[in-house]
Amino acid sequence: MSGPYSGLRVVDTTGLAGAYATRLLAGMGADVIRLEPPEGSPLRRLGPFAEGIEPPENSLWWSYLAMGSQSVVIDPEDTESLTKVLAEADVLFEDRLPNTSKLSTQDINPKTIRTRILPFGLTGPKRDWRSSNLIAWAASGILYTTGFTDRAPVAPAAPVQLAYHASAASALVGTLLALRSRRLTGVAQEVEISMQEAALSIAPETGVPMFMDDRVHRERSGNRRDLGRPFGLYPCQDGFVSIIVLMPRHWVAMSQWVAEATDNESIVEEVFADNAVRVEARDLIDDWVEELTQRHTRLELFEEGQRRGIPITPVNTIEALVEDPHLQVADFWQTTSLQDDTEVKIPGAPFRSSSAWWSMTPAPRLGQHTDQYLS
Amino acid sequence: MTVTETDLPLNGIRVFELGIAIASPYCGKLMAHFGADVLKVESQTSPDVVRILGSAWLKDRDDLAAIASDTSPYVSEMNASKRSVGLELKTAEGKAAAMQLLAECDVFLANFGARALVDLGFDYEAVAAVNPDIVYVQLPGFGSNEDLPYYPFVAWGPNQAPLVGMDDFTGHAQDPPAGIATVAPPDYMSALHAAIATITGLEQRDATGEGVHVDISQFETTLALLGPFVMDYELTGTVHTRMGNRSMWGSPQGVYPCSGDERWIAISATEKQDWEALRAVLGSCVDSDFDDPLIRVSAQDRLDEQIAAWTAGFESEDLAGRLQAAGIAAHIVSTNEDLLHDTHVTSRQWYQVAESTRLGRDVFTNSPVKLSRTSGRWTGAGPSMGQHTREVLSEVAGMSAGAIDNLIAVGGAFEQIDPEMTTTRPWEDWIHLLLPGTEDARDL
Repeated sequence: MSGPYSGLRVVDTTGLAGAYATRLLAGMGADVIRLEPPEGSPLRRLGPFAEGIEPPENSLWWSYLAMGSQSVVIDPEDTESLTKVLAEADVLFEDRLPNTSKLSTQDINPKTIRTRILPFGLTGPKRDWRSSNLIAWAASGILYTTGFTDRAPVAPAAPVQLAYHASAASALVGTLLALRSRRLTGVAQEVEISMQEAALSIAPETGVPMFMDDRVHRERSGNRRDLGRPFGLYPCQDGFVSIIVLMPRHWVAMSQWVAEATDNESIVEEVFADNAVRVEARDLIDDWVEELTQRHTRLELFEEGQRRGIPITPVNTIEALVEDPHLQVADFWQTTSLQDDTEVKIPGAPFRSSSAWWSMTPAPRLGQHTDQYLS
Repeated sequence: MTVTETDLPLNGIRVFELGIAIASPYCGKLMAHFGADVLKVESQTSPDVVRILGSAWLKDRDDLAAIASDTSPYVSEMNASKRSVGLELKTAEGKAAAMQLLAECDVFLANFGARALVDLGFDYEAVAAVNPDIVYVQLPGFGSNEDLPYYPFVAWGPNQAPLVGMDDFTGHAQDPPAGIATVAPPDYMSALHAAIATITGLEQRDATGEGVHVDISQFETTLALLGPFVMDYELTGTVHTRMGNRSMWGSPQGVYPCSGDERWIAISATEKQDWEALRAVLGSCVDSDFDDPLIRVSAQDRLDEQIAAWTAGFESEDLAGRLQAAGIAAHIVSTNEDLLHDTHVTSRQWYQVAESTRLGRDVFTNSPVKLSRTSGRWTGAGPSMGQHTREVLSEVAGMSAGAIDNLIAVGGAFEQIDPEMTTTRPWEDWIHLLLPGTEDARDL
């Protein structure tokens, strides 16, 4: 494949932990080998599954995250084959601690960059602890602050597996830095990511430096926050919209809109120009705003609100995103082909570059490239 | 210049950053840590929002109001090791000086709105005109193509996550979306993609001599994480949405109450061997039919109730340790107080302390990216606003002292205000508790 990493050989032995990183590398032209045990990568066991296709080729997670890569099957005990595949690797992605498997004890080419994505890192009292997307969020301070007060706290966008993807993207940053360093010095090195730290790094609001500053115990507040009003999610005809009004000009525009649309003369009264007063009278403000929002759809509110200069966005569902007019005009969506040749829509390149950086091919069948690398 | 093995990978790279809040600044912070000279170009007339935030303890200190903009903890959190250059880009003189700097930079990094960059005259074409091989990376909300419908729209922080589907995926199945008030994944995922694009662009430039323009629409970048859900919707019409803390791939997984007020534990035991380990600990506290994985999924409410009844008898920290010792993924649901005495985190040097002109020293979190040989550096905490204006204009743009004086006099640039006015954070005496080797910070 072409692309900026054409000719780079990457071996990925992880499941979800590294998959997003190696997906990006494959999209940018690297030869990405997914080393699979005979029963297949753990990614292949993740549903949803495509109907009419037999396992282990039917996982949509595999079909998406393994795009552009090559599948080489090796028995984990087969040191000889392992040595052969790893011999030419520029980068090796792992999600195991050293000395916990054949692979992790394997001597590798000193030129190979070894990138490890680990639950709690290589060192520290919890180095042996296990993790998951949920556990990483629990250990970051974010889970505790998300959800409604009368319900158990919830992980942010749990099904999306953000903690894994943030770890993978961080691992890729480290890997690219290590590759640059290797080019400049001729010497490889190891890259380490702790999933807990990857989650902590995207969660400074509940982090220790912020807490030291205000000493305010963060707790969950449902889908609105008392930093301002309106502030948070508001119901509309077909779901919810998100409205964040903090700045005076945003309130002026918002209150005008509510006044015009619902014949509400009170909301434009001077007293409510004070954000603190609005927070104090939040139930009233929320009722007034909902009178407006409940008359319209997400997209109507988005377009009209933005036209008026108000920070408002739709709370999009997957369905709404796939139907979104901007993304369609932007030609964002691409397709991939499943093992039965069904064409299916997928998100396109994560960024657009003036140089031709991105191209993709479908995910490989189990062992599709084994012979190519082992014979 | 000879490169030695311990030279940082971005040594010699200079970044011109027009950053607000998080998306661009977080990328710049990573670049600075790994050796780049990151110039945070700031304005007094339209300052970075973290300058406006100030800090909580300073709110009633009228005597220190003039320097409040240097005291938000986000200043260091997002801008450690950068240099702050005060330039008013809306003035002809300030803009000209910025262009002189840009001619000497390798990377342009910005998360200003796409239209704002055009209006300022810092769109790709304008910057490439003074520096043709620049690596130009921008992170607008909706991309830089002015023909697209949402091009002029504004979306930041708390509004961006719902837009890209994150809020709809958050909460318990039967509840309204819970929202993700305290975390903004699109900002950080865009920042990480910007770092990936920047390093890739630098490698390309070094190899071919050609720069690149990378447009990171925060909308599109975060959607790239939703592939399997888009595919399933296209194939079957299924609209995947929030499902609490449960897993799509097995059961049990959840957040369960422990003894005490608002004490919780998160447990993930979705695989067969996880269940066997958990069952060995739970014993007869759960019904025996749960040994069937299909029943664990079909009767999750009953299973969760039984697990919750069991966890409620334990202190969360003890239970987490006990479950992990049995090989089960578990962790307390950490509050910010818990994080303060998370000795695992502190043992890994997660908190860093560096010099601050205004505050003496300041604390910020380390890079989550760890490299074994070129481990990075922190040359300072977040800079004071305009702290490096004079040295950067002199050393990088080659301006004379007189020219810099003139530029400041006409309002094209500014320097740090009241440099003699310094203070310390109220918790200055306890900073050492965040560093490894000290006692638990619990008593802070």
